[in-house]
Amino acid sequence: MKRRLTAELWDKMHYLFRDFNDRMVHVELSYDFVPDIDALKTVVICAFEKIPVLHSKFVDTKLSTYWQVMPYDIDEVFTVSYPDDMQAAADAFLTQYIPPESHIQMKVALFIKDGKSKLCLIENHMCMDGGDLKYFLESFCDNYNKYVNGGISPINYRTGSRSYDDVYSGFSKTEAGVAQRLFKNINARDDHKFPLTADNIRDISFIARKKFSEETLIKLKAKGKELGATINELLLACYFYSIYELAVYPTSDKMMISNAIDLRRHMNSVADKGFTNHTAWMQCAVPERGRDIFETVKYVVLSSNKFKKDKFMGLYGLPLLNFGYNILPHAASEEIIKIGYSNPLMAMSNIGVLKGELFALDCKEPVDAFISGAVKYKPFVLLTVTTYKNVITLSMCVRGNDEDKKTVNKFFDLMEKNINTIIGD
Amino acid sequence: MQKIIDYIEKSCSGLKDDQVTYYYKKKLLDGMSQRADEMIHAGLKDEKVILDLIADEFGDIEKGFGQFLKDRKKQQRGKFMKVAFPVGGLLFLILIFIAYFTVSSLTSAWDKTWLIIVGGIFAMIIFYFSFAINKLCHMRRVFHPIARVLIIGCVMLFMVFAFLFQIMMLPDEFTSWPTLPAGVALSFVADLIFAYATKQKFRTISFFVYMPVIATMIYIILAAYGIISWITGWPVILIGLVVDLLYIFSIVMSNMKYFMYSKEAE
Repeated sequence: MKRRLTAELWDKMHYLFRDFNDRMVHVELSYDFVPDIDALKTVVICAFEKIPVLHSKFVDTKLSTYWQVMPYDIDEVFTVSYPDDMQAAADAFLTQYIPPESHIQMKVALFIKDGKSKLCLIENHMCMDGGDLKYFLESFCDNYNKYVNGGISPINYRTGSRSYDDVYSGFSKTEAGVAQRLFKNINARDDHKFPLTADNIRDISFIARKKFSEETLIKLKAKGKELGATINELLLACYFYSIYELAVYPTSDKMMISNAIDLRRHMNSVADKGFTNHTAWMQCAVPERGRDIFETVKYVVLSSNKFKKDKFMGLYGLPLLNFGYNILPHAASEEIIKIGYSNPLMAMSNIGVLKGELFALDCKEPVDAFISGAVKYKPFVLLTVTTYKNVITLSMCVRGNDEDKKTVNKFFDLMEKNINTIIGD
Repeated sequence: MQKIIDYIEKSCSGLKDDQVTYYYKKKLLDGMSQRADEMIHAGLKDEKVILDLIADEFGDIEKGFGQFLKDRKKQQRGKFMKVAFPVGGLLFLILIFIAYFTVSSLTSAWDKTWLIIVGGIFAMIIFYFSFAINKLCHMRRVFHPIARVLIIGCVMLFMVFAFLFQIMMLPDEFTSWPTLPAGVALSFVADLIFAYATKQKFRTISFFVYMPVIATMIYIILAAYGIISWITGWPVILIGLVVDLLYIFSIVMSNMKYFMYSKEAE
């Protein structure tokens, strides 16, 4: 008998985002050695067996949606290659697209050259978000190490509910009652956008990256303390300022950038929960650009604090979405939700610190690591931030042309200039 | 395969070694072998890992035996029902006709005894409907509206029989018609009970719609039996609206504590 899994609220929401992005989350871990390929294959299969949504296809009958568990072959999930240009091969792998109708939702590749390797992974955002992917990678590496060094079967993955309403599990009964009645849609529309070219069928997906040294991070931390801002807020302020400069928007314009927030902050524990999405947007707004970047930081901190004080941060509109998906057939509810939902034109997702020891294979930490969000379709953009070994990596995945590539790189240059202004370099 | 058999034997060592346990072991072996084949097909080669994955997936085998016994019983009951339903129905029909002819020939009340046939057939339909309702309740929610229709059907069949019985047995046949509006009211009550017991979507809306209808039916019944006047008794209908308002008030009050909390939090 065919096994089915429930399509949860966030699965359906990310399915709805098909018009805005390719829903792929990208991971790249670089090692200066070559891990045991057979062991890696075993660990990947075990991960797939323990997390069946990874080898399921998403079925949309228009009336309802569900996941159907499918057979798979490790050779289509995990590939090993020996390219001349490892980075180009990794980028080509990372920018591919897995359709939700595919019978696998995650692909892993190992690129080997001169005794060095790159472990790359892409997965459908419908299965899990960046937060859970980070946890998945940690479990993956831990399982690999225990299997290779101790012969322990690599089956230690979290399993359990993938339901959106687990976010209420950390609340008291009254608080959960309040949260479950937050029908209000607090997302406002903002027409300011990243200055990319118009859509073209010749557009291709690319990942642009910019690294900031350990020294910059140390200085940013010190400056953040002085200004009463977090690193995230400083980066967001630079994002705002750079957009004003890049798109030459009037300095008096009010602008909004959505910031991804992990809803797991509301949960006591995720130990008994399955891999899923628990991410929402927090709209950070500045009333104007500000005379200088420091004034923009002030505006960002003010806006951010307003959200931080809210006990139910990120939970607004969830009951409305759930209601929307429950009352009507799937196709109709999608149309209704599309009317009320406005996808942020500009967004930022800080996946946070990637701890080297947790991504170590054979006790050897990666020399570089980064996770990036989905490839956005124009005019939408998402800036992803990861920190590894005190090096901040900014990345932006866009489907565009060479001109767009130049614009994104110019944006990164402006980010660098504004960060340097903040730290006084 | 041998490792799986050894694992099953070891895990089931605490169970009595009889035919039922054999079936359980066989079922486990089939399930585990199928999963092992799937994993091998996926490319997993390490037998130890396959066994550990399977053991993890199947959980506590001794505990699973209790569930197996329950499922087996259910399966056997299902098989029995498949035969018992048509055969039992046929026997019941024969029994009804025997009862009809016996009672009719003994009492010579041929004009009334047809109620035995009608009552018997209605009872049989209600019996089959009850089984269907029970089955539908355990199915996906999309099938629950069918169960609701069947519940209404059961109540209406019962009330129609009560109506026919009254016509035949009561001296004044005109006093029996209020049984039909009573049937409508009872159908709605039964549907509401089902909706609330199974937490159906829009049950609150059903409540708001049904209450004035039920109150109207009560008005008709009371007026028909002369308990209230047709002309002055209409305020009974308003009771339905009052109940609706009270229900709205209770919902608002229960939501108020969340609203107040939300304001305090702000």
